[in-house]
Amino acid sequence: MNTTRRHVLRAGGGLLLAGLAPALVTARAAAEVRIEMKGNESGSLVWFEPIGVQVSPGTTVRWLNLDPINSHTATAYHPDNDGKPRRIPDKARPWHSDYLLPNEEFSVTLDVPGVYDYFCVPHELAGMVGRIVVGNVQDADWQYSDIANDGIPEVALMAFPSVTDILASGTVHFDPASGAGHGGHDTK
Amino acid sequence: MKMLSMAAALAVAMALPAAAQDVSTAPPGGDYQKVSELVKLPDFIPGLGDLYVNPDTLPAGPFLAYDRDGQLVSTIYMVPIADLEEGKTFDDLAVPGGQVDHVDIYYNAGHPGVEKPHAHVVLWHVDDEARVAAE
Repeated sequence: MNTTRRHVLRAGGGLLLAGLAPALVTARAAAEVRIEMKGNESGSLVWFEPIGVQVSPGTTVRWLNLDPINSHTATAYHPDNDGKPRRIPDKARPWHSDYLLPNEEFSVTLDVPGVYDYFCVPHELAGMVGRIVVGNVQDADWQYSDIANDGIPEVALMAFPSVTDILASGTVHFDPASGAGHGGHDTK
Repeated sequence: MKMLSMAAALAVAMALPAAAQDVSTAPPGGDYQKVSELVKLPDFIPGLGDLYVNPDTLPAGPFLAYDRDGQLVSTIYMVPIADLEEGKTFDDLAVPGGQVDHVDIYYNAGHPGVEKPHAHVVLWHVDDEARVAAE
């Protein structure tokens, strides 16, 4: 399957018109950041890479499915998405990529500073989640209430990299050994 | 005596199951549907092949897997781990694919159609798994 589907959405604004910027490695000041959806050969392990990243407001985040045997979604934790708890900033618009086949992609531009948590619909029960920090958030911006954990499987809560680790390094890579971000077991 | 023979033959015939559906080539027909038309998955999944399933049998299946030439290579059962832990059993699963060469069992994190993490129980009808490998 070599078809490429491109979706572009602006969280906190209108539709982004182009989305044609070249792929860039993750960097805090990059105009675009790529997050890969990956899986191993047997399908026993699936993950977002990087699992955690800090970006500047206005950065376009592009998810690309590089798993040849599976489809994935990038879906914001928000009541609009199957009643999930809100784990994105108040003023940010939620997104759902729908299912992406291998080599398909989806983009969203994040304008509102804060912490954004998202998941893969068919793999939430396997702990396939990710976290994006937009801007230099203060603690008050990402300390969710207990309600924010409702309905989220424990394996997913355990997989989130900590905001502290993301702010410290800018990028947190997936750790196949633990199924989480390096050093990350922060459920907030 | 002749009547008795006919009755015996009829009884034997009725005791046999109905003629098995030939699923050796794709599409298998009957109630089987192409998985990639039921859920969003690739048409051909490297390592498994081209999958068909009767949706009424989800999640366990059997799923029938075919190589790129449309020849049956395996029958797959997908058994959610959580269901087993809760004591659910999967009994009397159909075995439509005939002779089995060998069996593989491994964990799968899930996919559209069977989202719960589950075990793949793969009954290979061929000895060469490379027939469904990535190109």
